[in-house]
Amino acid sequence: MLRLAGISKSFPGVRALAGVSLEIRPGEIHGLIGENGAGKSTLIKIIAGAYAPDEGEMTFADAPARWSSPREAKQHGVHVVYQEFALFPQLSVAENIFVGHERRNRFGMVDHGRTRREAGELLRKLGASLDVDAMVSSLSVADQQMVEIARAMVHNVKLLVLDEPTAVIAGREVALLFELLRRLRESGVSVLFISHRLDEVFAICDRVTVLKDGRLVGTGGIADVTRERLISMMVGRDLGDLFPPRAATARGEAVLRTEALSVGERVRDISIEVRAGEIVALAGMVGAGRSDLALGLFGAMPISSGAIYLCGRRVPSMAPARAIRLGMGLVTEDRKSQGLAMQLDIAANISAPVLPEVTRRGLIDRRLESDIAAQQIERYRIACHGPATNVATMSGGNQQKVIIARWARICRSVLILDEPTRGIDVGAKAEIYRIMRDLAASGVAILMISSELTEVIGMADRVIVMREGRVTGELAGHEIAEESIMQLATSERAA
Amino acid sequence: MSERVTASTELGRAVARPWSLRAGFDRFGMILILPLLLGLGAILSPAFVSAGNLSNLLLQFAPLAIVAMGQALVMIVRGLDLSVASMMATAAVIATSFSGSDRDVTAIFAVALLIGVAIGLLNGLLVTKRQVSPFLATLATMILLQGFRFAYTQGAPSGNVPPMLRVLGAEKFHGVPYNALMLLLLAGALAIVLHRSAFGRRILIVGGNPVTARLFGIRSDLIMIACYVISSCLAVVAGLILSGYVGLVDNWVGQGYELDSIVACVVGQVSLQGGRGSILGALTGAAVIVIISNEVLLLGVPIQVQLIIKGTVIVVAAALYARRDITSGQ
Amino acid sequence: MSAAVGARRQLPPWLRNNAGLAGVLALIGAVSVAGAVASDRFLSFNNFLNVFEQTTDLALVSIGQTLTILSGGIDLSVGSLISLTSCLTSGLINNNPDRVMGVVIAVLALGILVGFINAGLVVALRVHPLIVTLGMGAALQGVTLLYTLGPVGRVPRGFNFLAYGRVDGLPFGAVIAVLLCVLIALLLRYLPLGRQIYALGDDASSARLVGLRRTRILMLVYGASGFCCAATGLYLVARFGVGQPYTGVNYTLASITPVVLGGTLLSGGKGGVIGTLLGAFLIALLNNLLNFMDVSKHYQLVAQAVIIILAVSVYVERRRTV
Repeated sequence: MLRLAGISKSFPGVRALAGVSLEIRPGEIHGLIGENGAGKSTLIKIIAGAYAPDEGEMTFADAPARWSSPREAKQHGVHVVYQEFALFPQLSVAENIFVGHERRNRFGMVDHGRTRREAGELLRKLGASLDVDAMVSSLSVADQQMVEIARAMVHNVKLLVLDEPTAVIAGREVALLFELLRRLRESGVSVLFISHRLDEVFAICDRVTVLKDGRLVGTGGIADVTRERLISMMVGRDLGDLFPPRAATARGEAVLRTEALSVGERVRDISIEVRAGEIVALAGMVGAGRSDLALGLFGAMPISSGAIYLCGRRVPSMAPARAIRLGMGLVTEDRKSQGLAMQLDIAANISAPVLPEVTRRGLIDRRLESDIAAQQIERYRIACHGPATNVATMSGGNQQKVIIARWARICRSVLILDEPTRGIDVGAKAEIYRIMRDLAASGVAILMISSELTEVIGMADRVIVMREGRVTGELAGHEIAEESIMQLATSERAA
Repeated sequence: MSERVTASTELGRAVARPWSLRAGFDRFGMILILPLLLGLGAILSPAFVSAGNLSNLLLQFAPLAIVAMGQALVMIVRGLDLSVASMMATAAVIATSFSGSDRDVTAIFAVALLIGVAIGLLNGLLVTKRQVSPFLATLATMILLQGFRFAYTQGAPSGNVPPMLRVLGAEKFHGVPYNALMLLLLAGALAIVLHRSAFGRRILIVGGNPVTARLFGIRSDLIMIACYVISSCLAVVAGLILSGYVGLVDNWVGQGYELDSIVACVVGQVSLQGGRGSILGALTGAAVIVIISNEVLLLGVPIQVQLIIKGTVIVVAAALYARRDITSGQ
Repeated sequence: MSAAVGARRQLPPWLRNNAGLAGVLALIGAVSVAGAVASDRFLSFNNFLNVFEQTTDLALVSIGQTLTILSGGIDLSVGSLISLTSCLTSGLINNNPDRVMGVVIAVLALGILVGFINAGLVVALRVHPLIVTLGMGAALQGVTLLYTLGPVGRVPRGFNFLAYGRVDGLPFGAVIAVLLCVLIALLLRYLPLGRQIYALGDDASSARLVGLRRTRILMLVYGASGFCCAATGLYLVARFGVGQPYTGVNYTLASITPVVLGGTLLSGGKGGVIGTLLGAFLIALLNNLLNFMDVSKHYQLVAQAVIIILAVSVYVERRRTV
């Protein structure tokens, strides 16, 4: 179906792809894996028609394919669902599906009735039941993904490219997605499935291709390769154990405790505690309210009722400034829009929450700031060109290290991490896990929100599961397992 | 029709060097355009380089530069201040509302700055607490000031500008205009504040992303309000200086300065998107505008063509600098 | 699309979807009540016709501005374009009735052309429409002044029908404005390109990824805005009998107020022209009320500003870009 031969692409200063050749057969689900920066998204954009390759040839359906625009690629049957989605929040579901290809009546004018009808039919075929008039911004992430896929169906798609489709869904929704993909495969559609989650790649893909540093490292049937071999191909070395061993030391006092805490509009009646030195994972499906809880604990979202206790003392009104003073830290879900000052350098990002520390008589002591940053760079092995490196130029994994370094430095009581390893390559993940363990060992209480079950099982001393804004259960020690977590995350509430 | 997509910010494994000739040029290079423009002026007309003309240039430069610096601060925090020109005019009207003698100068400054602070607070509160678009909020205050000004003067302003203000606005101290000295003072102070102080660092962080800033414990709202207050107060100072320069009373002092200051900032690489900008940039931008206006004037080019040229300069400058913005326009 | 940090006060869904229209209608209601209290002549049919007539100039230009704002941009060249078209109209016709038709068509075409140029520059130079139209506005003002430094030419007597004529008792100009509004509303709803305007204004990067033809959308939007400016210029010439080079100066910023009052988000993607028309009506109504209350013209400005502030403080903008 799709054949790439010797594709190369460079940007100023960087060679993103070098001589990549791969083949996707008709009616197959093909996995594409590789670390961040391996060139996956460049490859996707070339396949989608957003970039043109510098060298190499692309053939699609046995005809040479030199797309000059994404529109042309779509017309030929190549459709990409990006990780960030290309949806229009204020438009309805039906409008989103048909945007750019509006359903018309015989005068060429937009036929709103037809738009809604056909949108409904498409969604039914996909097994989704959505209100076609609903505004897309009001939908859950999984539903939004359905809208994106429905969009692909509009045009007799021959190759569907999914970029990290399971990054924001889990459990039942993933199962539904896979069923859909299998049905597509049966009808002859090819799927290019890009994912970090090797378990899923093994579950759904027929063949797989590994990219590393812009080159093809391997391609072949999924049955012919093992998980460890894939990891070593991706990273270039055997990683051994991804997760550091759990500490055997006894836990300390409860550092963070909540009593019937309700945050914002969705999170209700949360009573949990996190002790010094332990790593508590907060599991659940996307939309369970975990991030809201984190923001509430940090004082970034208003608390409607209940109380927060830090080191045994009640904190009446939490705000980020106070949380920081009390030794708390929050690593947010979204690096770029919440975690970093993208236009500033590493030093500024590290000092940001504690500016008074580097301020002398109202002015910033740049030398001190730089020294502090240099220390952190060395300690956490952050790949950069020194404290004055602009964070926007760094890779995702290193950016995350800067964020964690920033908080790890000043955190004395609680560190809350929201999806700390999302979108990060395996190598950097291992380092971040190590940092978390070390921090816990030094007495900090760690609350980690994660949707990746392997991560939860690998790192957590205790797991608290949430669903629809409430805690549905707690697991410890041997109880922590995939089935038990999933059951608590999706349990039906009594009528 | 082919569509080229701007290169993604993901640069793969490569990491930019923190400092290099290229980076230094990016940040300070814009100032090189000034000697070029000055040179151009010298070629175009011998009158350009005369001491009289150059110090006149400085006289015109100071008020615009002062307003542009305030506008830069507001733009850095993702805002816009359209009320500055109206603020300037209001300050000018206040200048002539007293006896016209020097003993009232303190009162003039006090009243004018008070109103400046009030308007700045209003702008800031509207933008932060009521989520009003800065464009609209400052547009509204601009009209508000205009209304009050006209009502107060009944459309026919009268009175005298105190001699001290006239000195400040129009006289020179050994060839250097007083207002340029005032500008130097203000520019120096603002540069230290923006680029070296903790307050300035907070401004940059808030401008980059107000949400992120809040998560750092920074009071984004207060910072933004402060920027609007500073902008209004700088507009007041510029208005008083300009009223001294003009010498007589006028309801329209500073007309056009709101758009001119925005243009100066854009030309000076202050990003409309927020989070980026420098005092030097605002000054350079203002200088570019003033020099080009002057050269065009000396060429005997009629005002009509001046406007056309100004329009072209705006667009060209923005086009040149747009590529630098990672998230440029649309 | 991650959730915003912190909660924002929001209106219930049914109100939120039509918040703009509901808001402006409520304000019109409020002003009408105040007017009825102030004077019994206020609610008379004649007065209503008066106000309707007064709305025309602002309505014409604001309708075009609505489109540019919906697409996520803005047109700051409207004032200068109005000045240019009005001067060209009276200058070229120069009291010669045979020329009227030809000049009117030419002027409207010029408006569209200027709009196309604006759109072209935005795409080709990759500069924000704010800057492009700002520059174009300055340039156009210069061109206008090149053509004439003061009032120029004359239009024949019959021309002022555009402004003062009555059709079935209704002011001709205002009727044209309403018809234009309806036409554009239909365009927005039923033309595929019209729907895409909303998409582009809603999320420009999604629009790019989906492959929307931005150039075409922008040309439609700015071309329409230019057309509306030309129409406004024609109307003003009809009203004053002659074109003047500074006639359009205030319209640039004034054209934005009715758009916002009518519920269109300044960031784009939501709203419509009906709201704008109502917004323009509201402003005219307010001025009318203040006249009745014998308020000085200067305080009218203050009142306008206060209304803007009140109106926008009530509905929360989705996100701020300008």
